[in-house]
Amino acid sequence: MLLIRCFTALLLVMSTFANANELVLERAPERTYDIVIESGYLNVGVYRDFPPYSYEKDGKPVGVDIDIGKRIAEGLGVEFRIHWIIPDETLEDDLRNNVWKGHYLAKRRIADVMMRVPYDKQYAYMRDSTGEVINDQVVMFGPYHQEQWQIAYDPNDIDSVGTMAVFQYHPIGVEIDTLPETYLTSAFGGRLRDKTHHFANIGQAFQAMEAGEVSAVMGMRAEIDHELGIHSEHGFVAASNGFPGMGKQVWDVGMAVKHTHRQLGYAIEEIVDRMVREGEMAEIFERHGLRYSMPGFYEEILNDVDEDS
Amino acid sequence: MRLKPIGRQFAVSAIALAVSFGAHAVTDEDIMNDHNTVADVVSHGMGLQGQRYSSLDILNTDNVESLQPVWAFSFGSEKMRGQESQPLIKDGVMYITASYSRAYAIDARTGEEIWQYEARLPDGIMPCCDVINRGGALYDDLFIFATLDAKLVALNKDTGKVVWIKQVADYREGYSITAAPIIVKGKLITGVSGGEFGIVGKVEAYDPNTGDKLWTRPTVEGHMGYVYQDGEAIEYGISGGEAGKTWPGDMWKTGGAATWLGGTYDPETDSLFFGTGNPAPWNSHLRPGDNLFSSSRLAIDPDDGSIKWHFQTTPNDGWDYDGVNELISFEYEENGEVIKAAATADRNGFFYVLDRTDGSFIRGFPFVDEITWAEGLDDNGRPIFSDGGRPGNPVDAQGEKGEPVLAQPAFLGGKNWMPMAYNQETGLFYVPSNEWAMDIWNEPVSYKKGAAYLGAGFTIKPANEEYIGVLRAIDPKTGEEVWRHENRAPLWGGVMTTAGNLVFTGTPEGYLKAFDARTGEELYRFNTGSGVVGTPITWTMDGEQYVSVASGWGGAVPLWGGEVARVVKDFNQGGMLWTFKLPRDVADRDVASR
Repeated sequence: MLLIRCFTALLLVMSTFANANELVLERAPERTYDIVIESGYLNVGVYRDFPPYSYEKDGKPVGVDIDIGKRIAEGLGVEFRIHWIIPDETLEDDLRNNVWKGHYLAKRRIADVMMRVPYDKQYAYMRDSTGEVINDQVVMFGPYHQEQWQIAYDPNDIDSVGTMAVFQYHPIGVEIDTLPETYLTSAFGGRLRDKTHHFANIGQAFQAMEAGEVSAVMGMRAEIDHELGIHSEHGFVAASNGFPGMGKQVWDVGMAVKHTHRQLGYAIEEIVDRMVREGEMAEIFERHGLRYSMPGFYEEILNDVDEDS
Repeated sequence: MRLKPIGRQFAVSAIALAVSFGAHAVTDEDIMNDHNTVADVVSHGMGLQGQRYSSLDILNTDNVESLQPVWAFSFGSEKMRGQESQPLIKDGVMYITASYSRAYAIDARTGEEIWQYEARLPDGIMPCCDVINRGGALYDDLFIFATLDAKLVALNKDTGKVVWIKQVADYREGYSITAAPIIVKGKLITGVSGGEFGIVGKVEAYDPNTGDKLWTRPTVEGHMGYVYQDGEAIEYGISGGEAGKTWPGDMWKTGGAATWLGGTYDPETDSLFFGTGNPAPWNSHLRPGDNLFSSSRLAIDPDDGSIKWHFQTTPNDGWDYDGVNELISFEYEENGEVIKAAATADRNGFFYVLDRTDGSFIRGFPFVDEITWAEGLDDNGRPIFSDGGRPGNPVDAQGEKGEPVLAQPAFLGGKNWMPMAYNQETGLFYVPSNEWAMDIWNEPVSYKKGAAYLGAGFTIKPANEEYIGVLRAIDPKTGEEVWRHENRAPLWGGVMTTAGNLVFTGTPEGYLKAFDARTGEELYRFNTGSGVVGTPITWTMDGEQYVSVASGWGGAVPLWGGEVARVVKDFNQGGMLWTFKLPRDVADRDVASR
């Protein structure tokens, strides 16, 4: 008994010592695949207050990215731990602050894997003005979802949204500093600009639609689907119009790990790949009342397979 | 006579007894006369007008080479990253803030610490604008400064104990504060910092004794201002009269115009002068119109926060030319008439001289070697935009990189936050400026918060091989550059000038330097061990003249890098406060030989 107690005490001392060392170093811990498995947990980075992907409900993290993160942790045989991300001005900033370097106010707070990182080769290999690859400190991998833009409208105000032209006459809500904001305030020679109303997030835009302040809302499809579910009693409708002149209309979403943690990335990719192929990913989205599109990455692969067979 | 709660009065006297060197309260009169009292520095700007001019001449061009360090003080911990603060001095005690929202009181004779306060910052805070702090305010028995999570903190100046803490704005909405608050007529005045999260700038007044809010004045057209009576907000007029006059749609609701550099005060016109940041969103093509009151200087009534006049330096800004730079009141004679003027050196590269009684434009001229975005200023001081000088609309070139537009000055400005100084003897402004340009292009592919996005790419680059920084002596009456001193790295520290015909400033290379105010000859340099981006002060103690400056490389330059990074990448961070004096025997010898 005494021996055990001594041993426990020694362990305590040792672990305190290890913690102290990390504190002194003030840098992001190197959590490779082996260390993650050994530690028994996985820090999954997700954006805070970002329904339906990742947000808190009754003090618990919920959302599709949370569910996927939990399945990944389960697949690795470790505990799921949440790492909330407060978005900075660009994705590069988020990757630096949360995946490879740590934020300068909390250098040791880091995610082992970050969810909802667009999967785009052009972006991944983008170079800065001096020729350096901008995101060379991370690996972007594992596309699991394809996202796109979507409008919802109030049929009491607008009969139908055939084209964007109706928003010369009807107010539309949008989240500030997003591509839809830029689109609505600049496309068609700025003719929709005066009818564009700005909100801090899509949830607030829907509340404004409920209050009759705007007749429509534009955002990401999953966000719109989610809000349509919340406000189902109002009969708001998802539009099926196109977005002429808008640069990026659909994009794949995957994950990111630090470039020295590729092995962890491979292990996660295997889990997520199976989820996409076997339909589990679609089920998760369905369970949240969202439409699901398989990443364009898979469309190509699976079509190739079809042609081969 | 201001009334104080009895309980606090008792506490104050108890503390006063306990403090051996018998510190005195700082009064409104002390602050109002700060520019005339050489034994203390009790305001940011060494006087509320912000001239940063001392009438001391014990230290002068003849003896500055004998200036000697007397002590240095470390801010401690790993928290270095940019020491942009200006010290205050009262009764032999120095008060200074440091990066990461820290504050210190130090024995000015020995450099020994009296107290230290470290603000407890919330988890997950994402300050928009680095972790620097530019200084605090003294009032009564309080030292008051603002924190990265947008709070005002009032400490007992003798003990460092918290007296009150008030939230000015919600950091979760993207607000922060890095500027020094000022005390004007018994009111504590502050602005706010904020990034591109749809914030709206404002100037606010608080009761320094209690932290109760007295008035608030938004700096974007269309927002209601309030005065507070017995804790109740009373509507006090919409900024600019009504919404939508210079903004399309509802963009005024998220218009930016952060007041992130604080302000100055002119007692003669009884006006606060605050500058405002760039408008949001960053893409100027989305918001045709002047976008008031972004990139402007505002004259504000300190009693109720109403706007007396405004002067906009960059209407419909598309280059990130914040209009926050300090507006310094000064007088000059012309045709036997005294002109009540005020001057500012803007990020956009123009130096403006305004009539501070009504904000009208007297004259303006470039203070940098080259300006590409405007051909000049018209009779009202409004820029004449150059053809092709405005960055293109990213919407027009989606998916392509597009041709870069070269803009000069770069977005960090012909002059950034670092305050210039005005010498009453020479009649010159000493402007810490930078010669750099930027390429802006449409980013072919960009993402934000999991979504496709349309961003602009930019890179900042030196305009010359040999130097970026230029300390300039500028005659506000003629626009003439009387002298210049070039520096390899960009200048990022404030300037101070004295009746001893001296100009002091620091360099990122680590030097505190002194120049002859009339010729620009470099007379003194001392290497502080890390880049100087703070602002020096001077005062007398025990009959000797002292100079103090914070040292510690950081701020915005190393964050942005670009091709400027080549010049600054080897500078090490730091966190030291250096104090110098002219030894008495040298000063006496100097007087004897005159």
